[in-house]
Amino acid sequence: MTRPFLSIRAVRKTFGAFVAVHDVTIDVPKGEFLTFLGPSGSGKSTTLYAIAGFQDPSSGDVLLEDRSLLSVPSHKRNIGMVFQRYTLFPHLSVAENVAFPLRVRRRPDGEVKRKVADMLALVRLENFADRHPGALSGGQQQRVALARALAYDPPILLMDEPLSALDKKLRQEIQAEIRRIHRETGVTILYVTHDQEEALHLSDRIALFREGRIEQIGTGEDLYLRPASEFVAGFIGNSNFLSAEHLQTADGASTIRLADGSIVTGVKTTTSFGQGQKVRMMVRPEAFRLTPGPTSAALAVEIVDTAFFGDRRRVVARTAGGDEIDVRPTSDAKEADSTAPSGQRIFFDPASAFLFPA
Amino acid sequence: MQGSSFRRSSVAGLPAGSGSALPALLLVGLFFIVPVVALLLRSVTDPEPGLQNYAALFGSGTYVRVFLNTFLVASVVTAVTILVAFPVAWMLAIMPPALGSIVFGIIILSMWTNLLTRTYAWMVLLQRTGVINRALMGLGIIHEPLPLINNLAGVTIGMVYIMLPFMILPLVGTLRAIDPMTLRAAALCGASPFEAFRRILLPLSLPGIAAGGLMVFVMSLGYFVTPALLGGTSNMMLAEMIAQTVQSLLNWGLGSAAAFVLLVVTMALYAIQLRLVGAKRAGGGI
Repeated sequence: MTRPFLSIRAVRKTFGAFVAVHDVTIDVPKGEFLTFLGPSGSGKSTTLYAIAGFQDPSSGDVLLEDRSLLSVPSHKRNIGMVFQRYTLFPHLSVAENVAFPLRVRRRPDGEVKRKVADMLALVRLENFADRHPGALSGGQQQRVALARALAYDPPILLMDEPLSALDKKLRQEIQAEIRRIHRETGVTILYVTHDQEEALHLSDRIALFREGRIEQIGTGEDLYLRPASEFVAGFIGNSNFLSAEHLQTADGASTIRLADGSIVTGVKTTTSFGQGQKVRMMVRPEAFRLTPGPTSAALAVEIVDTAFFGDRRRVVARTAGGDEIDVRPTSDAKEADSTAPSGQRIFFDPASAFLFPA
Repeated sequence: MQGSSFRRSSVAGLPAGSGSALPALLLVGLFFIVPVVALLLRSVTDPEPGLQNYAALFGSGTYVRVFLNTFLVASVVTAVTILVAFPVAWMLAIMPPALGSIVFGIIILSMWTNLLTRTYAWMVLLQRTGVINRALMGLGIIHEPLPLINNLAGVTIGMVYIMLPFMILPLVGTLRAIDPMTLRAAALCGASPFEAFRRILLPLSLPGIAAGGLMVFVMSLGYFVTPALLGGTSNMMLAEMIAQTVQSLLNWGLGSAAAFVLLVVTMALYAIQLRLVGAKRAGGGI
């Protein structure tokens, strides 16, 4: 195995009796965009801070190209970072903010000037060089922060929820910027967010944190299409969960009995369940259809509400057991007629459903 | 920036509300402007019309020395106060608020204690056979008592102690407005703690240092009690000289001239400071 570029090894962080991070281990190849995703308090920021040097881990190690970073103080780690809040230096112009890391490194004036021009071009703020941070919008400030963090060509760029203070439109705009900059510079990025859409949009791989542990790590597709647990399925994308009883499994396909007594066969599973064990079946909203397909199973429901959103419809249905189900079929012309709910049934392919222990 | 915009708006609002401001203007006129004009008149009319009081003031080596000494003491006191106050203010700014308000309370409490009492306490501590000298000699660190009183050292110690709250208060305000994350960002950018202090923290705290420094300097220029009790005869300050001129020599004209010079210098300093802070548009506010 080739040596990993950045290696987080069994990093653990405790605050008194509280364990914020439980033995997290991740290897990050050079140039990867890895996102730490998770709800607040799941340990993702604490892990990032251990890499930045703001919080020493209680145990474990962080290795960059086989050398431990832990004994290196923050200012000598040569890591770039963009923070959640705007942390530009308010008394310095945009150009001087970007030049700051080069000035403290005592680089010659000519090089500083050239590099600042390059960086401002990279974030497309060439015309703002002489402005002060107070005269910039939030999005512009974060772009300057990005330019400042990349000015000294750090091997790793850490980003701690950099878009959370921005409005939705601006967030999408800067996400595109970040993707472009990652492509153009090839820098290794560790990105922290609690927004799963942002994580899916940006990342090569996502590490989903839960209560200080990594619940699952993989590509966005892995997490969305092959969730390892109910938590992953619930956190990534939208999901519907239905209570059921497991009857039997053969060749990774299970037969279950739903709460209303109907039997569904061919549900995908990776775990082995006992006969009669309580399980939860997850079906993505977009996996539901309003008309039956060749292999689909039917679910008797009461349609509560339907709405049309152009590319898809949104139907709210309620099962006999009282569970609300979010149904988002594509707005296919063939299905258009059936949106007037007559049959009070919705359909799904059992192969696109997942089973998790209850 | 907040400070300057506040100043702008209050100045802009003055003409509109000047009718209701009339009583306040009368008060200021009666109790502040009239006495200053009287002082100026006295300095050029007593004992006879002319500028002879000012000529005496600037012509005599003794008086010039008193002026220079006054500025020397005020400068030293201001510098030492800034050096002592900065770490205290920084500690207060980053302390947990509950603990911070207790320390704040202790500092304020010292301001409420009688000035004379505090100055006499310093006399007890600083004199040849005082607590400090005896403790140091008892520990064998020194063999001769240190001259800590009736000289520049005594005045500086006593006045710095009294001035500290006036420096700490504006400085804490400025430092609290600085986001600690800014310093973390500076560290990750490669700035050592010293570089981060020099390039980020110090420039950002300049408005507070300027506001506190000016206040301390101006108050020190006119200070009477502490220099009189802790200072020596060889380094008399202006307030002491004015008191002597008026009380012992009954020379009201000369005393008025000295007081007026002090006033003009103070106002000039204030104007310069406003200029500097205003021009830099430094953040933080006063």
